[in-house]
This record gives sequence, structure tokens and C-alpha cells, in this order.
Amino acid sequence: MPKYDKALVFGAAAAVRLFLFTAFPSLPNLLAGRVEVSTPVTSFKRLQEGLFLYTHNVSPYDGGVYHQAPLLLPLFSLLPNPSYYPLATNILFVLVDLLSASALAQIADSGQAAVTRLFKSSRKELRWTSTAVAAGFLFNPFTFITCLSRSTSALNNLFILTAMAKACQGASITSLFALSFASYLSMHPIILFPPLLVLLYDVRTSKSKSPANPAVFAAIHTTILTGMIGALLGVSVLLTGSWDFVASTYGVRLLLPDLTPNVGLWWYFFIEMFDSFREFFLGVFWLHVASYMPGLTIRLRKQPLFVATTLTGIFAIFIPYPSIADAGLYLSLIPLFSHLFPLMRYTFLALSNTMYASFLGPAFYHLWIYAGSGNANFFYAITLVWNLGLSIIVGDSLYAALRDELEVERPELRDKEVTRI
Amino acid sequence: MATPEDANASLKTEVSEIASVHPNQSPKSGVSSAKPPQESTRSLWLRRTVILSFWAVAVLLGLPVWWKTTAIYRSDLPLQAMSDWAEGKIGKPVFPLRIAVEAPILPQDTHSLIQTTQHVLDDLNEFSAHQLRLMPVDPPLTANASQHVVVDGTRNSGDDKDTTLLIRLIPVETGETPRSYLQPYSPTLHVYYSPSHISSVSSTASPLAAFIARELHDIFAEEQAQLAYLLSTTSGEHIAKVHSLPQETAAELQRRSTRVLKYAPTYHLTFSLFTPTSTPSAWDIEAALRQYMAPLLESFSAISNFTIDTQVQLYATLSPSFPPPEYDENAKAWTLRNEDLSGFINAAEWPLSPSIADGPTVNFALYVPEQSQSPLLVKDSGASSWLVPQWGGVAILNPPSTEQDAAPLSALSKEALAPAMQTFSNQLISLLGLPQTPASLPLRLSTLTRVRAASLVFSASSTLGALAQVYQKLPSIPVPDTVAKSVDLALQHLQQACDELREGRFQGALEHARIADGEAEKAFFERSMVGQVYFPDEHKVAVYLPLLGPIAVPLLMAALKEIKNEVAAFKARRAAS
Repeated sequence: MPKYDKALVFGAAAAVRLFLFTAFPSLPNLLAGRVEVSTPVTSFKRLQEGLFLYTHNVSPYDGGVYHQAPLLLPLFSLLPNPSYYPLATNILFVLVDLLSASALAQIADSGQAAVTRLFKSSRKELRWTSTAVAAGFLFNPFTFITCLSRSTSALNNLFILTAMAKACQGASITSLFALSFASYLSMHPIILFPPLLVLLYDVRTSKSKSPANPAVFAAIHTTILTGMIGALLGVSVLLTGSWDFVASTYGVRLLLPDLTPNVGLWWYFFIEMFDSFREFFLGVFWLHVASYMPGLTIRLRKQPLFVATTLTGIFAIFIPYPSIADAGLYLSLIPLFSHLFPLMRYTFLALSNTMYASFLGPAFYHLWIYAGSGNANFFYAITLVWNLGLSIIVGDSLYAALRDELEVERPELRDKEVTRI
Repeated sequence: MATPEDANASLKTEVSEIASVHPNQSPKSGVSSAKPPQESTRSLWLRRTVILSFWAVAVLLGLPVWWKTTAIYRSDLPLQAMSDWAEGKIGKPVFPLRIAVEAPILPQDTHSLIQTTQHVLDDLNEFSAHQLRLMPVDPPLTANASQHVVVDGTRNSGDDKDTTLLIRLIPVETGETPRSYLQPYSPTLHVYYSPSHISSVSSTASPLAAFIARELHDIFAEEQAQLAYLLSTTSGEHIAKVHSLPQETAAELQRRSTRVLKYAPTYHLTFSLFTPTSTPSAWDIEAALRQYMAPLLESFSAISNFTIDTQVQLYATLSPSFPPPEYDENAKAWTLRNEDLSGFINAAEWPLSPSIADGPTVNFALYVPEQSQSPLLVKDSGASSWLVPQWGGVAILNPPSTEQDAAPLSALSKEALAPAMQTFSNQLISLLGLPQTPASLPLRLSTLTRVRAASLVFSASSTLGALAQVYQKLPSIPVPDTVAKSVDLALQHLQQACDELREGRFQGALEHARIADGEAEKAFFERSMVGQVYFPDEHKVAVYLPLLGPIAVPLLMAALKEIKNEVAAFKARRAAS
């Protein structure tokens, strides 16, 4: 029966998406214009602009509008023009969602969330089925909206999920390939490499009889990843004819020249920033994003998948151009750790906070931009609340994971109140 | 923003310490175990590594980023040289003018005449920076050359372009002697003398020598006054011994300098025809310019270049706030009051674009009044043109026929434009600062070259001095390499300009001074230097504090606690052993 369940879930998700695409043909464009959904580096409209320039033999980066990876262009230029024949593009995005869901199901099936080589959760029997996890992704409203808006962060999410899924199965090359694609598309997923490397090492070691030397293992995988990213960049150079695309893609993510509002924390800060300190604070903000990785990887050495998941949550909060797609990815990964749910303390607060921000965000944006009865602070305040909600989930789940570890270490403390001294 | 950061940053260090039971709920015994169980070495080191990893990111990556992004790049400037130039310690401009003397007499006679004249001249001269040096024309070939030159009257003192003036002595039998005649279109002074004067040239009382010296002094009096005025206004008094200018001369020079346009290598001339009706709708401006303007511009070409455009504006009415002209019965003319003239140009409606080319624009407006309001004149003076300082000139062209029934003029011919063009020429000359004496145009132009070169040298020097002061007074402004490069170029060209001046090559001096001034201005007005000028240090606290608070406090506290624990443990171990 589970087979049947899964097919039903996937089929229903695809059907609903295709129905919405065809029943409301203007919906994708409406959503693609929303700042919460489309950022300058993922917007489908900008992709179309780049595509137009590309098919007319102009450098797609000349207009200063397109900031996405060059390899997306030949892919999308194969499809018929989405303005006239949107079906092919829509089906592609539905497929991307289904593949992501299937990758998520694979992660759930591998069981790496609760049981790893070095760690066995005390509540490992509290597990959602892979179908439930996949359904949680497919029917997550954030994923839904991302798919309908045809934002390219859907592709990014697919590659991140595939990298995780293949790492859980110990498939080094596939995992690294997916990770290199994700990093190539949006740069920050490279931070996921250390926890995924640990995950790969754990899975490979538990499968094989003779464990590999960790240093050699790390060196080989780093080389492979570097080679793959280098190859992708090389192909991009061949495609566009120069290295100019680096400044328009990664340069834009690093230096934040486009201050279009989004759900993140950067834009407002950098609008207000003194020009002379701008570079310094760009460095600080990026370091801040990256600084969680080493600490988390070391502290939660036994649960690398949880580290990777938490990092996606941190991305959703702290990267320069976040959208609800990033939050959707993180919120869909959380059900993998259903064994931690009993230990989480602020579930209600986090849930209500997220919903509150989801509904009020568009309203405040409307007040600011269209009604003119509010100002930028309205929208920024609601994004602060939104990110606060996400931070609560990140912090609470971290607490739960550490508490879980403690209970494994000291089973006698289970269900007892502990306090820090 | 503080909340998530704070929560996340401290969470890992805090939660990792949940390693002991609450004392009250200790499962072991309620009696004596108020002390928590010993933390395992493994978790202790785990915690320390985590803290260390955060510190490593902060120190290994954060500090270099901070250092790199907030460092102010200041390239080195030759400050000493710059302020020396500004204070006039180096590069005193001197103006040695070469004056060739050509006389159909024996070389030794010429020589002694020159010596005597020079002597008298030096006695007359009060301005040490400006010297007139007499010398014979082509010393080795005096006799033959002079013959030749007399025949070829237009020849300009041999090939030596650096000679400012040629004195040609011509013996005459009749008339009053000595007398002189300055050629209006070549830098040549003819001195007529009777041969009897030659006999006494070696004595200081020679009338010929005294005459020539006084003539020369008169010719260059205005130039000396201008240069002296320039020195006294633009630089410190120590630069040269400024001889005291007479009060009225200084006032006159002051008045003149306010109307003169700032020097530019290229000026843009705009000639506009304004008429309040539909006529005249055409003017033969191209031919008129060619005939009346081109020769003048040609002669200025050594100093500045000119670009020209013209326009015709029909139905160009005077501004509504401008008082309408009044009819003066006595003069039988419509008159404008002198004090209203400044409002004559209807700047709001007449399309006199400020500058469409590189250089500053000089506007010349020709106004043809309505038939019913003609002739239109300025009250009292009866003039029909006036000059607008640093802007251009206005001329009113009253149609020649004043009969009521004459058909209005539909086109202005070249001849009709002639008076206006002459007015414009005069206005252009005074706008460009050409001196009014002496009578010879080439001499006036060469005077202008020297004055312009000197003023450019002074302006470049003072700009460099100001830049040096800014550099020293504001240590927080960034100074990019382009500024240093411009300063170097400016200094180099300043030096060259002064060298050329000393050598008497004034054209070259003007070229170098022009480049020097341009580079100095470019360095001073570098855009990226001004960004941080008004950023006091106190503001940096406000910039760093929001960052140092949420990030540094957990980092520091965690590190301090670990160190304290380690010290305590160390002490305990020592006490135990």
C-alpha cells in the first residue's frame, strides 16, 4: 500500500499544480512579481529577460537585469517561449518539485535523521513515513507558491535536496555533483559541504568493512567538488565567452547592489548604511552566515544531516536575497526530525509567528507600496517577525537535538527538567 | 536582529553545558550531592572547540575583512613641494622680454647704443620680475641682414619667435627726430632718428637712448601693471617685491578683472538674433562672422580656441517684469534706463544654453526691436550695446530706415551686421582680457599670453597648496593614486612652465601652465576624496556598537568563562598535588 500512497500524493500534487497553472494563467506572473517570492537572483521574469538577450546573441548580463547562472539559459532556451506556450515550462517546474519531493522521501527512507553511525536517538521510533514527509514538502504552501511563480530557487532546492539524499545513501559522486550544481546556481550552498562530507563519511564507513582515512576521504571529496564547480564555471565561460558573468551573478550576491525589498534582513540595513562602511558590513554579514557552519558541525558531529538542515534554516534567515522558497525548504526538512518534536518547547509560538508573518507580510507590503499609508518600516518590521519565527524554530530544534543527545548519553535524565549551571 | 543572532550564537555554548542535573532533582541522593557531577573531558573539549571555531572565524576572517575594508588608502603626495609652490618659495615667475634692435649702423655702435639704452631702461624699471633685454638682431650678419630686412618690411625679426619686439632704427633727414611709430599689425617699433644722434650713443645722456628707453617703458607699462597686480592679489607678498601700484591703476585693473572670463583653452561663442516680431527672420551671419570675427579669432588662436554656433529666435519678448522702454522726445528715440539693463536678457525664456561644449560659453545677443519702438537706445549715454561681465555682450540693432511705411526688414545682410559685429569684437576682446595698450595687436596678444601664463601658474600653485593643506588637515579622507598622479603631472608642468618663462618662450609656458592648472584642479576635485570628510570619529562608535554588542558579548563571555574554569582547575590540581 505505501507505494500506492506515494503515487497518490505525487499525482495529486502534480495535478493541483497543473490545474492552477491552467485555470489561472495570470497567477504565475502575479506571483513572480511578488518580492516575497521572487528575488533579483531567482526571478523568472529576469530569467526571461536574460533568455531573450541570449537568444538574440547579446550577452545576457548586458542589461544589468539578469543575475542568474549562465547554464540556465541553454536549458530554458530549449523550451518554447513561456509567454505563448507556458505548458512546457510549467511541467518542468512541476517535475522539479516532484523530483525534490522524491529526494526528500529518499532522505526519510534512509533514516539518517534519527539513526546515524555514532548516534541513535532515544525516540527513533517516532518517525514520519517518507510519503508523509514528501507530502509535507509538496503541499507546503511556500513550495507551492515557489513552483507557481516558477522561481529558479526551486531548482536550487532540488539540487540541495538531491545532494542530501545521495549523501544519505553514500553516493559520493552524485551527491557532490548535486552540491556543486547548487553552489554553482546560488553560491551559498557550498557552506553545506562540511556537514555533507561528514554525512558521506559516516554512511560510507558504516557500509564498508574497512573505514577510510578521514583526511584522505576529505581531500578526495574536496578535490572532486572543486573540479566539478571548476568544470561548471568553465562551461559557463565557454557559453558566454568571458568571465564577466561572475560579477553579475556571484558579484551581485556578494555585494548586494540591488536593494529590492525581500523577506531577508539585508536590504533595509544596507539602505541605511554609511557608504564607507558598506564593504565592511557586507563582509560581516557574509561571515555571520558562514560562521555557524564550523561550530555546528563540530558540536553536532554525530548528526550531520541535522547540521545540514539547520544550515538551510540559517540560509533562509541570513542570506542576502532570501525568499519563501528557502524557508519552504527548511520547513519541509524539519519533519525528518519528528523524533525531536516532543522535545521542542516553542512549537506553538513558532507556528503562530510564521503564520502571522505570512499573512501580514503581503498586507504590509501593500500598505507601503500601493496604498501609501505605511512606510518601509512596516514591511521591514514584519520581515523581522518572520525571521524571528524562523530563528525560534532553528534555536528550538537545536535545543531539542542537544537534549536528545544528552538523553542518549544519560538515559536516567529522560523526561526530567534540566537546567544550566 | 539582535535576537536571532544572540539566541543562536549563545545557544550552542549554553546548551552544551546542560550536562548536569538540577541539584534539587538529583536522582542519587537528596542528602549531600549539591554538587553537580563532573563534566566529562570529552564534552569539555567539545565545547572548547566550538568556542574556538567561532573565535577562529572572527579572528582569522573577520579581522582581515575589517582591516581591508575600513583601511583608508592614502597615496603619498609631495606635500613639501606643493606648499612650496603655493608659498612661492620655488618657481618665481620672471618675464625676460627680448627686444631686438636693428640699426643700419656699425655693429659696435649698435652695441654701445644697446648698452646705454639698457642702462637707462634698468633705471626706469621698478618691477624686478619683468625685464626688457635689448639685443642686436642676428649679431654675425648685422650689416647685410639689416639691408635685407629693410627691404622685406613684413619680416618678423629673423626666425626668432621668442623676440617680443623688434626696434628698427631708420635714419631720416627731415621731420622731428627722434620719433617713433608702432606697427599696428606686427610687433615692430620704427624709430626715426637723424644721423647726428649716433655720434653720441656711448654717453648716458644720449637723447636717442633715452628716447628708446622711455618709449619701451611706456609700451610695457600696462603689462607691468597687470603682472604686478596679479602678483599682489594671488600670492604672498614675499614672492616678489611688488612695486606699489597707483591707487587708480589698481582699481581699474580690479574692475577689468571682474569682467574677464576665467581662462579656458576653448571658448564657445553663441551668436543669437532675438526679435520680438517675425522679422528679421534671416541674417547673413556666416559671411559676417567670416569677415569680421574670423581674423580676430585667428589671432587669438595661440591662446585659446573658439567654437561658434548661431541661432535666430523670433517672437522673443522681453521679460514681463522688465520695464518697457520709454519714448524720449529730445532724442527722438525709445530709451532703456541704465539700471534696468541687467534684466534685459530674458533668461527664463530665451534659449541661451549655459554650456553645450567643453569650455565656457560666451553669449552675444543681437536684439532687433519692433518697428514701432525703434530706435531703441540706452538712456543718457545713447549707446546701443553693453557688456555683461563674464557672460557676453548685448547689442541692439536698430533697423536703418525709420520711415513709418517702410517694409520691415526680412533679412539682415552682412553689411547691416557690420556695426554689431564690430561691437561684439570689442566686447570679446575685453571679455578675454586683452590689454588696451599698446597700439600693436601682436604686442597686446603676447602680453595676454604672459598674463594668462602667470595667472595659470599662480592658480595651479594655490590649488596644489590647498590640496596639501586638505591632505594634512583631514587624515580621514582617502586619497587615490590618480590624485598623486595628477599632482606629479601638475608639479612637472609647473616647473616646465616656469622654465619656459625664464627662457622667454611664453607660448610654451602657457601650454605647460594650462596643463598644470588642469591637472591641479582634477586632483583637488577628485570625487572619491570628499565622501568621508564629514564623518567624525564619534560616529564610528554608533556604527560599530550594534555589531559589537550582539556578536562580541557572547564570544567574549564564553571565552572568559572557559579561561576562568581552566585557571580554577589548574589551581585545584596544583593544590592537590
